[in-house]
Amino acid sequence: MTTESSESPAAAANGESGRQGRLAGAPDIITAEGVSKWFGDFQALDEVSLSVKEHEIVVILGPSGSGKSTFIRCLNRLEEHDAGRIVIDGIELNEDVRNMQTIRSEVGMVFQQFNLFPHLSVMSNITLGPQKVRRLPKQEANQLAMELLERVGIPEQAEKYPAQLSGGQQQRVAIARALAMQPKIMLFDEPTSALDPEMIKEVLDVMRELAESGMTMLVVTHEMGFAREVADRLVFFDEGALVEQGTPEHFFENPREERTKLFLSQIL
Amino acid sequence: MTQMPVAQQRRIVLPPHRQRARRPRSVRAREWVRRNLFPSKGGTLLTLVSGAVCGVLLAGIIWFVFFDANWQVITDNRWLLFAGSFPHDGEWRLWTGIGFVFILIGLAYGTWSSLGRKDHLFIALAGAFTIFLMAHGGAQIWSTIWFLMAIGLLYAAYAVAVRVPRELGPRRRLQQRVVAGLLALSLPIVMIILMVGGGATMRQLDGFVLNLILAPVGIVGGLIVAIPLALGRASSMRIISWTCTVYIEVVRGAPLLGWLFVALFILDDVIGGDLIVRTMVVLAVFTGAYMAEYIRGGLQALSRGQYEAAHAVGLNQFQSMQLIILPQALRISIPPMVGQAIAIWKDTTLVTVILTLREFKGNADSAIAQMEFIDDRIEAYVFVAVGFWIVAFMMSRVSQRVERAQGVGER
Repeated sequence: MTTESSESPAAAANGESGRQGRLAGAPDIITAEGVSKWFGDFQALDEVSLSVKEHEIVVILGPSGSGKSTFIRCLNRLEEHDAGRIVIDGIELNEDVRNMQTIRSEVGMVFQQFNLFPHLSVMSNITLGPQKVRRLPKQEANQLAMELLERVGIPEQAEKYPAQLSGGQQQRVAIARALAMQPKIMLFDEPTSALDPEMIKEVLDVMRELAESGMTMLVVTHEMGFAREVADRLVFFDEGALVEQGTPEHFFENPREERTKLFLSQIL
Repeated sequence: MTQMPVAQQRRIVLPPHRQRARRPRSVRAREWVRRNLFPSKGGTLLTLVSGAVCGVLLAGIIWFVFFDANWQVITDNRWLLFAGSFPHDGEWRLWTGIGFVFILIGLAYGTWSSLGRKDHLFIALAGAFTIFLMAHGGAQIWSTIWFLMAIGLLYAAYAVAVRVPRELGPRRRLQQRVVAGLLALSLPIVMIILMVGGGATMRQLDGFVLNLILAPVGIVGGLIVAIPLALGRASSMRIISWTCTVYIEVVRGAPLLGWLFVALFILDDVIGGDLIVRTMVVLAVFTGAYMAEYIRGGLQALSRGQYEAAHAVGLNQFQSMQLIILPQALRISIPPMVGQAIAIWKDTTLVTVILTLREFKGNADSAIAQMEFIDDRIEAYVFVAVGFWIVAFMMSRVSQRVERAQGVGER
């Protein structure tokens, strides 16, 4: 069950690596307590508790069907949790539609299948949210979009349509689209799983840069190299429960739980 | 916060892709003929047989059109077929209406598409057909001149519209708004031209003119009914979705003819009003039920990811529908919707059954009821068929253009 969820993340974060020093004393921006979720009779999440500090990068690992995607989808209420509490930046996620709307505009999400809007140009994909939700004037929205496209390395694709881009480029546009809302938190749901091997790197490079800029990130991924290099903390899910969490060093050198060991031995 | 302004952050620059060689331009004509007409012994046989069949058919058609047929049944009844009981002194109204519609066609083509070789050929053929009709049997030279002027207006409007550059700018946006607005208002404008200030009464809308008015009302009205119906049927609120389902199933469960009788008898008691107006209501209600199902198909074809991405970007329910879901669903449903539009265009002939309404085909029946033309029913019906075909063909051409224009960047 949730054996390690009671362990303070701060204790894990204060550990070995120097880059974790910057998290000392940072406030929690995400707090999930005892979150459960059922699909019919199937329990997808089993009392998951996890807090994430501002600027922290958390990588979520686990076999497929372990509930890791469901969990981060609960964080911006693409799925409703059936029990427990989720508080994001001081706002509790509940039935209140206005809370949900506020949180969604503060939490960016990147999907495995990109989910760009195929009928809109790259530019419009990015400016849609800022214009319609943030009420940014068109000029400013366009300028913001161009800056973001520069940042993800494809400013020359602004007037193209998603289908004219490669998978890696599409995913970078999707990241730019999420960033355009100037979110405090970015959720990545297996962002490289649908990509050809040679395109994975370009997306991971963008994510690495984002991590260095101080964004709070929750990343579901199977990219172990990325996890080891970038993550402040790794979290392991199995059968809907949070099984173990700790620093990358802890995870890759001496994981405690049998299930974690088994999973890592299969994937590494 | 350690987040830097966006511009100062590190950029990721990848090397440009290398240029790839182009495919060779064309395959030579002889090669094309060999491959497509005479690829093998069996293929050659098929080509010869089907060529012979086509030749015989074509010869038959030419013989009928130019030597056998008595087209006087058409030329003598031009006015009856086209406008029926429309007042003769209002002929200028008809021509003004035609001119207006032709200008709109030119503007629309110049704004969103371009006139290609096939379009010029079609205009030339349909134009020759019309002029041939008007130039025979005691016609006024004026009709022909009016018609040529209308075609001239079409090309003039097209020439004006294509001068605006296609890049999105303030002028382009203004152009799109103006033309779209004119298109949306075209039906009321045509009705005003035909009827206001001593023009025709409702009942004097007759012949081909009646078909040309009823079908667009049915199509546009149907679309207006269909969008909320489709969204309603897909709604998670049971009462709404059940209501919409019942509407759709009941309307689709009975033939159009039955609904036209409802317009004639039942609606007369319930809402009254002119029979033509009641017929319009029925056509819109009927078309709407079918179109709603096509739009629902489009809604279901969209992946759940589109809804999720729209929500993740922060759009609310209404914005997601308006900006993300409906544009894509409508685009997907264009082909079946145009099929429905063409069907309702031809189904406008059914109003003849309601005896007091007389349209194109009904008036053809009247034409061949005259003693001197009693043997010319084939000529009359061929003519009616060609009239319907011309408009149906235009609809399918326009839909292809719309699909192509909307399909930019499609998967």
